[in-house]
Amino acid sequence: MRSLAIRIPVSKIIALAIAAFIAAPMFVVIPMSFSTAPSLEFPPPGYWLGYYQRFFTDRNWLVPLFNSIAIGCGTVVLTMFLAAPAAFALDRHQFRFKALLNLLLMMPLVVPHIVMALAYYSYFGQLRLVQSYTGLIVAHTCLSIPIAILILTAALKTFDRNLERAAAGLGARPLETFLRVTLPVLMPSFVIAALFVFIHSFDETVIALFISGRDTNTLPRQMFNSFQMQADPVLSAASSVLFSLVLIAVGMTSVVRAVRSRRNRFS
Amino acid sequence: MADQLTLSAGTGQEAAARRIARVGAGPLLLLPAVLFLAVFFIVPLLIVVWMSFTEPASGVGNYVRFFSSAHDLGILLNTFRTSAIVTIAALVIAYPVAYVAARYGGAIGAVLLLVVTLSFWTSFLVRTYAWMVILGVKGPVAAALGWLGFSPPPQILFTTFASTFAMTHLLVPFMTLTLYSVMKRIDSSLMRAASGLGARPWRAFVSVYLPLSLPGVVNGAVLVFITCLGFYVTPALLGSPRDRMIAGAIGEEIEHLLDFGHGSAMAMVLLAATLALFFIYTRFFGLDRLWR
Repeated sequence: MRSLAIRIPVSKIIALAIAAFIAAPMFVVIPMSFSTAPSLEFPPPGYWLGYYQRFFTDRNWLVPLFNSIAIGCGTVVLTMFLAAPAAFALDRHQFRFKALLNLLLMMPLVVPHIVMALAYYSYFGQLRLVQSYTGLIVAHTCLSIPIAILILTAALKTFDRNLERAAAGLGARPLETFLRVTLPVLMPSFVIAALFVFIHSFDETVIALFISGRDTNTLPRQMFNSFQMQADPVLSAASSVLFSLVLIAVGMTSVVRAVRSRRNRFS
Repeated sequence: MADQLTLSAGTGQEAAARRIARVGAGPLLLLPAVLFLAVFFIVPLLIVVWMSFTEPASGVGNYVRFFSSAHDLGILLNTFRTSAIVTIAALVIAYPVAYVAARYGGAIGAVLLLVVTLSFWTSFLVRTYAWMVILGVKGPVAAALGWLGFSPPPQILFTTFASTFAMTHLLVPFMTLTLYSVMKRIDSSLMRAASGLGARPWRAFVSVYLPLSLPGVVNGAVLVFITCLGFYVTPALLGSPRDRMIAGAIGEEIEHLLDFGHGSAMAMVLLAATLALFFIYTRFFGLDRLWR
């Protein structure tokens, strides 16, 4: 029994040490973004906001930032329109070839991005979509569909369908039930799915590297090229911006989860 | 006439309604996503298949060239070896975190899961950049080595070690979440029963917990291995140009050599390896189990 009492803290200490290792990059990137050092130097010799100022004023960074936001928004809209009905179909209906179709919908999660980069490079070349927003939005939508479906089907599983039956019993038509009961209850999950799809598109590097041109240069592509040339310290500001986006999304997820579990406890 | 038109429109609607009822709403709701993926995902992939057999001449020349070239096979072997090392390392690092999070829960579990989730969603590019700083000439590791008396400090960045190390770090969160999803369903009373029957903690872990967590281990190992096979960014930025992985070689064919036939054949080899593993995996597990 005593050895058990000793063992528990040891495994906890190991786990916390590993968590520190997992988090290590963030303890480097965020201080670096406020650093005055002209090259990759850590710990920083001094602190200022100069690189954020550069990031938000220099056209070489602003244009890719704008492009990534535009492509991310386009991807979110298109993905949600395709994935939301699919999630309902997978959660609520039984039909032939369901497993096979589900496998097809999950495929983009597994196929290596470099293979898709080569595929889109050739395909969009023929469709004249290389170096266009449309091409990138279409490509990112394909990769995001499985993510949106996974998040939405997980949310649908916890949805209480008695709410819909109650609405129908009170005389609501199916569309009215959907718009006034189903959709509002699922809204937080839709927002979360949309946010993660946005992040996924915003972060995607490999395909953007090969099919976005100078005019549709995305932020990750600009970062990648900046790495290879001369690691520009503005990179750390760009990285911190990307990270804060993840922070917001994960924060929102935990808030929604906490609210939901509290509600369940009271009901 | 007008009446006739509305009448026929009416029957048309009824017919449509009957059709929907017969086919079921499920397939119809699924249709847009499936069609979209067919046109913008499957067709481009088929073009790669086509190119691998037709560029520059039709036949299996590209594959013969790949499998008879010591250089190409070396790249393939290196890809598998690196992926195996990364998978095992990620498993060893991730297991304790997932174990503590699943077993003890509470505050420590919440903190561990938060760190892992944040890291999981943070861009590979951002995390690769961080390791570039940490392992760089002016970074803390070089400073520590210099302090220990290595002068000049050994080259760490742009070596096989740097890229393997960073890839492991990138995939630890993925592995942790996979392991955790299985471990949280292990009934904790089994461990209490084992110790009640006189098993020491270590023995209870080895003969009760570890076997029950094996599905998670297989899950995580397959998914991490698959992801690792196709790594492009991290080896390109942190690794040595000498020992390249297959994704990097494909990228070079597209960017510099413009040999699309050869590039496509390499892409097909990578895709075949990935899909083979994935299908074996879904046969036994199924992807959706992870996200419940």
